[in-house]
Amino acid sequence: MLLAVIRRQGIDIPALCHHEAIEPTGNCRLCTVEITRENWGGWKKYVTSCLYPVEEGLIVNTHSEPVMQIRRTILDLQLANCPNAELIQELAAEYGIHETSYEKQPEGDNCIMCYACTRICEVLGCSAISPVNRGHDKVISGPFGEAPPDCIGCLACAQICPTDVIPWSDKDGVRTIWDKKFDLVACKKCGKTIITREFADFLIERRKLPREYFNICDDCKRQELADKMGGIISQAEEAAL
Amino acid sequence: MRIDSIDKLNRWREECRDNLGAHKKKIMVCLGPGCLAGGSDEILEEFIKVVSDRKIKGVSVEAVKKTGCHGLCARGPLVVIEPEGIFYSKVKKAHVADIVDKTVVKGELIDKLLYADETSGEKIVDYRKIPFYARQKKIALRNVGQIDPDSLEDYVARDGYAALARVLTGMKPQEVIDAVTASGLRGRGGGGFPAGRKWATCAKIDSDVRYVLCNGDEGDPGAFMDRCIMEGDPHTVLEGMIICAYAVGSGQGYIYVREEYPLAVINLQKAIEAARECGLLGENILGTGFSFDIGISRGGGAFVCGESSALMKSVAGEIGEPRAKYIRSVVRGLHDKPTVLNNVESYANVPVIIDRGAEWFASIGTEKSTGTKAFSLAGKVNNTGLIEVPMGITLREIIYDIGGGIQGGREFKAVQTGGPSGGCLPAEKLDLSVDFDTLTEAGSMMGSGGMIVMDDRTCMVDVARYFLKFLVDESCGKCVPCREGLFQLHRMCERICEGRAEEKDLAIMRDLSEVIHRASLCGLGQSGPNPFLSTVMYFEDEYLAHIRDRKCPGKVCRELITYDINDKCTGCLACISVCPVDAITGEKKKKHVLNQDLCTKCGSCYAVCTYDAIDIE
Amino acid sequence: MKFRFEVIPSLCIGCRTCELACAFTHSRDKKPGRSRIYPIAYADDKYVPVVCLQCDDAACAKSCMFDAIHRNEETGAMEIDQERCVKCMACVAACPYGCALVDDIHDEIVKCDLCEGTPACVQFCPTKALVYRRL
Repeated sequence: MLLAVIRRQGIDIPALCHHEAIEPTGNCRLCTVEITRENWGGWKKYVTSCLYPVEEGLIVNTHSEPVMQIRRTILDLQLANCPNAELIQELAAEYGIHETSYEKQPEGDNCIMCYACTRICEVLGCSAISPVNRGHDKVISGPFGEAPPDCIGCLACAQICPTDVIPWSDKDGVRTIWDKKFDLVACKKCGKTIITREFADFLIERRKLPREYFNICDDCKRQELADKMGGIISQAEEAAL
Repeated sequence: MRIDSIDKLNRWREECRDNLGAHKKKIMVCLGPGCLAGGSDEILEEFIKVVSDRKIKGVSVEAVKKTGCHGLCARGPLVVIEPEGIFYSKVKKAHVADIVDKTVVKGELIDKLLYADETSGEKIVDYRKIPFYARQKKIALRNVGQIDPDSLEDYVARDGYAALARVLTGMKPQEVIDAVTASGLRGRGGGGFPAGRKWATCAKIDSDVRYVLCNGDEGDPGAFMDRCIMEGDPHTVLEGMIICAYAVGSGQGYIYVREEYPLAVINLQKAIEAARECGLLGENILGTGFSFDIGISRGGGAFVCGESSALMKSVAGEIGEPRAKYIRSVVRGLHDKPTVLNNVESYANVPVIIDRGAEWFASIGTEKSTGTKAFSLAGKVNNTGLIEVPMGITLREIIYDIGGGIQGGREFKAVQTGGPSGGCLPAEKLDLSVDFDTLTEAGSMMGSGGMIVMDDRTCMVDVARYFLKFLVDESCGKCVPCREGLFQLHRMCERICEGRAEEKDLAIMRDLSEVIHRASLCGLGQSGPNPFLSTVMYFEDEYLAHIRDRKCPGKVCRELITYDINDKCTGCLACISVCPVDAITGEKKKKHVLNQDLCTKCGSCYAVCTYDAIDIE
Repeated sequence: MKFRFEVIPSLCIGCRTCELACAFTHSRDKKPGRSRIYPIAYADDKYVPVVCLQCDDAACAKSCMFDAIHRNEETGAMEIDQERCVKCMACVAACPYGCALVDDIHDEIVKCDLCEGTPACVQFCPTKALVYRRL
């Protein structure tokens, strides 16, 4: 796709809904570039570089005035919809916009509808959340607005979200996300927690990993490895004597 | 009864023709959407009852036929007595017995049910002589209003499936594509893409599986052409799709019908089952070894699912959201396989192109827009209804000669075509040719066939606001330019209607429109600003009147108009009784008084006053 | 694979120079990264340098549902592609030796990448307890 080529050239254009782990969908429209060909007689087309295939003879302009106007307006509109999203504030400021020129939405969260969370959940294999409703009322949610039954609490969605709008918490061995509670697997030795039991079960089943791998935490595993190696060394030393 | 050879089909056709010809008279009762809403299903039942009671020689109950939309919806419920074509309008259940006893049995006309010309008052008996009908040319709608949609025999008697027979036994797939290309058929759903080219591209792609889809979503407000074809002549859609499937090499097709058309689904399903039973659809069609089956996929009530990539997602059971189409659906469509998607009306033209030849089809219409186009003529014209006219006809001819001019003798203001993606054209543009390209050059577009006529009591800013609201509601919400851009554009338009806008707003709206048009992911967003752009192009003075003078010339925008009672008031108390907020006070025979503070500008008093005593300023 | 990374615990004196070298080699924005190698005591004054052994059938890669961990055929190291990683911690939980680690300073999941072919720990280890040799 054009975006990969543009980035390789070291040109920086925003692409909020883009992430290497998911298929591009062209939701945010910020990576829009102007393309033309010699035989188009000056006619130009505006396409999202994350999706447009690289073709021989394409002339690409990443920063023409119409393209800058597009990016500015989109960021302006986003600022109206998500006034408190830091990432949008920063990006908009880069394009010279500090206050939105449109009607601000008084409520609402900072979700920019990039779909990164739903796409990563699809790649994971759970598809627990999805966009629901249409148009301005669109939100990301579990089925019927309830806690998604297929969510395994892996936090991929929260981590990939560019504006950090998916709330989650780990407290007293329990993880809460999407109004669902998960038990965290506690290290048998020190009690430290890393992932949820559902996620561990998921990995054990899907990737055929031994259950024992998940019983203790990484700190204790390193100590165990040292102890085991140490034991072998001591035995070898004794045998040598 | 399986028709497994062309001979059998031809013999059956003769039988069907004979059966139909055996009726001395035929009573056609229109069950199109308009007439149905007027109670024509009860009229049909009454005819069946009366005819069966009377036991008339040569006229059995089978002579009573329900049909799809006959066309002149403004005069419905319609009943036509064939073969004379006696056209009865505004028929009521109480008239049925008379119609049977007088017209069917004795050949006498019932004067008060006859069509009377709007201006001259002249009564016209044969509907084919009524200007509304006389000036039309029916190809896609050739059977709608003439056959019982449930009857495969009716369809076959009128050359149904003859084209399919010719294709399967006498033409190679490439020859079919060539014929469609030579005919110049362009997509009737509004896009106007050459159908032959689409089929050719699909056929060339190396794939084991290809799909043929029919777009029956028809989301444009006011458009009902496709509905009438699906309800009134479902077999033509099937035949067109089978011919396409043969041409491109497909074994499976789907008709996507919008959720709001349950009768279309029922009629299509009946047609599919009847065709399957006879071997005209499914395995080994007509004994030729070619197999193709059709399923129906129902929409969920979203305008955006009329967009091809969203439609294919919906058929696949996924969320109906469009995707960026840099790789076209004809290359990777349903289930990522090459897919041909054409509109209902496009398929309805295909059998005729094969039957009568590409040259004949190309001789109708204009050079670049061949053939005819179906329109739903709606709004403030006298003759609202379903029509089909050759391309190249002017807007003036459609609105005045066929449409019978503006209702109530009012002035024409604008005609809206192409649905929310289209635009409004003013009186100066009435002589433009109606085709794929001319209207687009003028800032509107022909679209799928919705045509809404507006009179001087229309506010063009309000019209823009209506269509923008529609698009905001129907936007899938995936991309910012459409979801947020159209939302803000609509809000600004609302502020103009409310008299709270400033002159600089128009410039902001124009700039925003440009970005929405360039940066949106799909056609809905790309054409989204059109309602605003086309109205501001031709009616900028109206926008300025709202902004500068805080006035609404069309007397529509509530915040900017006032209702008041003038001296013509006779004190009849009518307005007092309908006012929902009790804003009018007064006694019998004394001029009433309207309290401005309470008035909500609902217009009920204006509607009910027969003395012209309510002024709107 | 053209190289092999070897650990000789009997030579390890627990000086932790490897830890320092690793942290500074992986520093960014003037902040050191988390060390991928730790000399850990199993008895008094006896240490084993615990570091990723670039397993043949690596559990970290297996556990990654987003395909972010791959073998670098040149160096032999299992590398985390930070552009694909979504920090779900599956590898941190799965690695049987605890060698996929959370770097809180740079907010990343990290593991030994053999410094793209010239491991810093090997260079700095005073007792040559760490070896990186061509096969």
